[in-house]
Amino acid sequence: MKYAGIDIGSTTVKGVVVQDGHVIWKAYGRHKTKQAEKTLELLTRMEDEAGLTAGRDVATFTGSGAGTLAARVNGRTIQEVVAVAAAVEAVHPDVHFVSEIGGEDMKTLFFTPTPAGKAKQVYMQSACSGGTGTFIEKSARKLEIPPDALATLPYFDQTLHRISAKCGIFAETDANSLVKAGVPKEEIIASLFDAVVRQNLATLTKGNTPMPSVLLLGGPNMFFHGLRQAWEHHLGALWDERNITLPAQTLVSDVILVPDDALYYASLGCVQIARREDGKPQVYSGPDNLKWWVETGQHEEKANTGQTGLASKDELAGFLRTYAVPSAAAPGQGTHDRLFVGCDFGSTTVKAIAIDGDAAIRASVYQPSRGNPIEDAKLIFRQLREAGVGGVGALGLTGYGKDLLKDILGADVPVVETVAHASAALHVDPDADAICDVGGTDVKIMLLRQQAVVDFRLNSQCSSGNGAFLQGVAERYDIALEDYADKAFGATRMPRLMMGCGVFLQSDIVNQQRKGWSAEEIMASLAAVLPLNVWVYAGQFQNLKSVGRKFILQGGTHRNLAVVKAQIDFIKDKIPDAEIIVHPHAGEAGALGAALLAAEHGKHNGASRFVGFDRIDDLDYVSTTNAKTTCHWCAMHCSRAFIDVQVPGGKGRPKSKVPLSEGWQRVITGNSCSKGLIEDAAEMKERKKQIDEDLNAHPNIAESVRQGAFR
Amino acid sequence: MRIPILQKAFAKAPSARAAGQKRALRIGIPRVLNQWSTHRFWTTLFVELGIGRRDIVYSSETSEAQQLKFGKGRGAVDCCYPVKCMIGHYGELLDGLKRPIDILFSPIILTVPSFLCGNVRENMACPRVIAGPESTRAGFQREKDTFAEKGVTYVSPSVSLAEPALAARQLFNAFKGILDGLTPAEMQRAVDRAYGALHEFDSEMRDQSLEVLTSCASGNRPCILALGRPYHMDSGIGHAIENELQAFGYPILWGQYLPLHPEVLDWLYKDLIRAGRIRNPFDISDIWKTSHSANTNELLWAARYGSLMPWITCCIRFSSYECGMDQPTYSPVQAIAESLGTLFFVFQDLDETKPAGSVRIRVETIAYYLERKSPKIMQGKLAAFQDAPPGILLQNVPDTGTASQDPLPEPVQTGSLEIADTTNRQHPGAGS
Repeated sequence: MKYAGIDIGSTTVKGVVVQDGHVIWKAYGRHKTKQAEKTLELLTRMEDEAGLTAGRDVATFTGSGAGTLAARVNGRTIQEVVAVAAAVEAVHPDVHFVSEIGGEDMKTLFFTPTPAGKAKQVYMQSACSGGTGTFIEKSARKLEIPPDALATLPYFDQTLHRISAKCGIFAETDANSLVKAGVPKEEIIASLFDAVVRQNLATLTKGNTPMPSVLLLGGPNMFFHGLRQAWEHHLGALWDERNITLPAQTLVSDVILVPDDALYYASLGCVQIARREDGKPQVYSGPDNLKWWVETGQHEEKANTGQTGLASKDELAGFLRTYAVPSAAAPGQGTHDRLFVGCDFGSTTVKAIAIDGDAAIRASVYQPSRGNPIEDAKLIFRQLREAGVGGVGALGLTGYGKDLLKDILGADVPVVETVAHASAALHVDPDADAICDVGGTDVKIMLLRQQAVVDFRLNSQCSSGNGAFLQGVAERYDIALEDYADKAFGATRMPRLMMGCGVFLQSDIVNQQRKGWSAEEIMASLAAVLPLNVWVYAGQFQNLKSVGRKFILQGGTHRNLAVVKAQIDFIKDKIPDAEIIVHPHAGEAGALGAALLAAEHGKHNGASRFVGFDRIDDLDYVSTTNAKTTCHWCAMHCSRAFIDVQVPGGKGRPKSKVPLSEGWQRVITGNSCSKGLIEDAAEMKERKKQIDEDLNAHPNIAESVRQGAFR
Repeated sequence: MRIPILQKAFAKAPSARAAGQKRALRIGIPRVLNQWSTHRFWTTLFVELGIGRRDIVYSSETSEAQQLKFGKGRGAVDCCYPVKCMIGHYGELLDGLKRPIDILFSPIILTVPSFLCGNVRENMACPRVIAGPESTRAGFQREKDTFAEKGVTYVSPSVSLAEPALAARQLFNAFKGILDGLTPAEMQRAVDRAYGALHEFDSEMRDQSLEVLTSCASGNRPCILALGRPYHMDSGIGHAIENELQAFGYPILWGQYLPLHPEVLDWLYKDLIRAGRIRNPFDISDIWKTSHSANTNELLWAARYGSLMPWITCCIRFSSYECGMDQPTYSPVQAIAESLGTLFFVFQDLDETKPAGSVRIRVETIAYYLERKSPKIMQGKLAAFQDAPPGILLQNVPDTGTASQDPLPEPVQTGSLEIADTTNRQHPGAGS
């Protein structure tokens, strides 16, 4: 008799066939959300290649996808953790702690010897992406590190940077800023490994001490050499601290085991448990019912749930007539001498727009940010000149780069993003009540009264509802973002996704995939849930009516018509007479707003401070990122870049650890708070007096409490 | 312009008491949660019980370094960050002190003293906060008794601090076996003095706030009111976000320490009382029916105070991630604060990491509009009053030589306010 153990996980399906206690066959594959299909494929191969026979052998299942599929081949379902524990107990009696890291979950198991036998303590985390395999792979993909290189990258002897271990989404942000600061990829990956282990130890030990020996399981622990080193480091340190001594001649690495078949422990556990069964075994019934499910059943079932698609054919035609984006009118030819330029130095892209005195757009350029504001500025101004901007009447700057560049470029109007966006929206409609700006990584909702932003909700902490999330899902399906709307409109029905945290949304998507919803249908439902996330979850608007009735949609994500359709349906459902306008320059609203404010400034003031195209093009700079530029003001230890620019009259920084001579000006980037703009303790000392004076001049009662209450 | 307040010159720290039994004990108190509003009570209590002031040690303010160093591997299962942080504070007191402590004192504060006592239904602490000491203790005793290992006595009595007589009994029972020769009378005396010291500190803070307001009134300049729970003053919990606005030149008041001087309260609330909306200045029954939580009650009360006071042109609200107590207050606090045109901004979902980028943008936007709108807001709010501000807000400004001598605008009796509906001083949530 043969035993098959099959683990249907969130990203892969793994299977083993065991005969007489020996593994005679094993295989795994990524299912790309087609869990049922992949499971069927695996079972068929087991029959063909390992002789798994219906009516004689036993197939046992585990994993998040086992629930709906196991019964179709008369297989038992074992809870994943139970399965892993069974395998560990059978194979490694000395192991006291197990960490299994999966694609979208992580588990820890503690085995504690007691007089009554071994006590088991199990913790599992599957609601948050922090500390899971997906989190590492996603970051590596962004860094363009091929999987085989990722596997061999080390942890030891790398400079570590602080990456938030708490949430995968925060961690991504941290990793992004490290990239921008020019930190080598190897160090970022080592820091990610560090974050994963810290996250596992922080959330999944719950007061227990992982005792040696330790077993590491699951794909990431097995494939990533550096991750294993990170475990070694952290467990070694923890054991030192808690006075846990290893037997003589034993190294920490000796008691951290990573078995060759680390991927298959859950599958092996299924077999272990099945083999222990007494009495009549539950015999494998063959793949026919599963085949029916793959071909027919899953579609029938999901038809009973879900909701109708984003738009019917007729409805869609009407919608597209009103909202299909006309290709932006080509800016006029020729060179213009006095244009008003607005630049938006965002965190991911740099955009610039030049308008004439009548607010007509004469040039519009953009490029992805390279993380070096000087280089970005040079490129964007070169592009502007090529696009026919001959002279600058006034320059407006917005985005994170505005403070760094305002003096170097000679900006007339440096203005915060919210104000720039408002200015762009009001240009389209001066009676606008609200702006909903959904960008790549943030959601901004700005409420307007009397043509000014009176309140706004900014959400850059939570990925729920932002464009990167949509893009991430589209990427997972290998669908280009430009094709998103077409695909989504093609779905006649779609599942209902839960509003809420992006991470939970991710697991909900996995759940819906399991029910058999296709990529198109899930993408449609994701667009449909976006307004809920934007307005209710992120924006906290329980009563949309209170916002007003005229809405301007801005931000790159509103170029996606599926999102626009969902927004319109959502808003009109709450406010039937609402007017919803998609900003004609949705993606560049910030730059346009800055340009409009520059134009306003230019009309009332004389000459611009703009330093000129040639000066910008000739900007000479030196960028330094090393131990001396690391910020030490807080535990974040931001890895900063000192970008030194040659400018007439630059005062230099002779006393700095990275000295700078006269005629140069330093731009500090890569810091995550304003304190990081101050180089070090020496500079702080000089500035502190001034800061103290400023703060003392304007008292803060909390400061009195902080200073005095606990004396 | 400079507002002349010496922040360090306020209510004297408790020092050794005159007489009574000295007790050679060293006591550690975690600087967490409602300690942020009861601090002086505890310090004074122990000084009065004969413990040397230098032997009463508070953990440091919450910081990431503290959490990493002392909280590692003892993770509490709690989504409330201020509660979760207690682990690091306990750890610091047990492992991070040069001279070890004998007692770790972590009171379970059931009810919180509040100036609204008597005008609200209850003065409860948040249930999660109440449970905090217990869940944290568990993290240090699950595998082995860390307190015993360190030779530290863990003392964590439930204390109904809003009810002084009960509190004295509870504290006596908690310490009678620990402090040699402790008598009920000694504890009663210590508790009385402790309340006195806390009151003195609070009054001192309120006086400082009054100075700020007086200076703003005299110079016709705006200030900002911070609305949050007491622990948001912990720079590891509130991330000292208000400092960034301070750096733009705005003084910061906190809802916990607004001036309660009768002249000020009379002026602010006279119209509301006359209209029959409230019985007295401390009455919040018209805007917050379920007045059970002391911190929440004060938050609502302060929001209205901020909405009325002309020189408070902006309220900023702090709220920690997923705070269940704050959830139902978001809309009412905003509606009340904004009702007379005061700007209102929220820093919500504060957690472990300071969202530096969005804080910066928010602060700059606030500053942009504060600068442009404050004059009109002050004028509008002033115009909503029937009579001129009381003398106490206009006098006593020490001449620093730099203070602006701009005259206060004449209260406009019939002034219409563009920013918000002020003609009928209607507070949302009250009438309907």
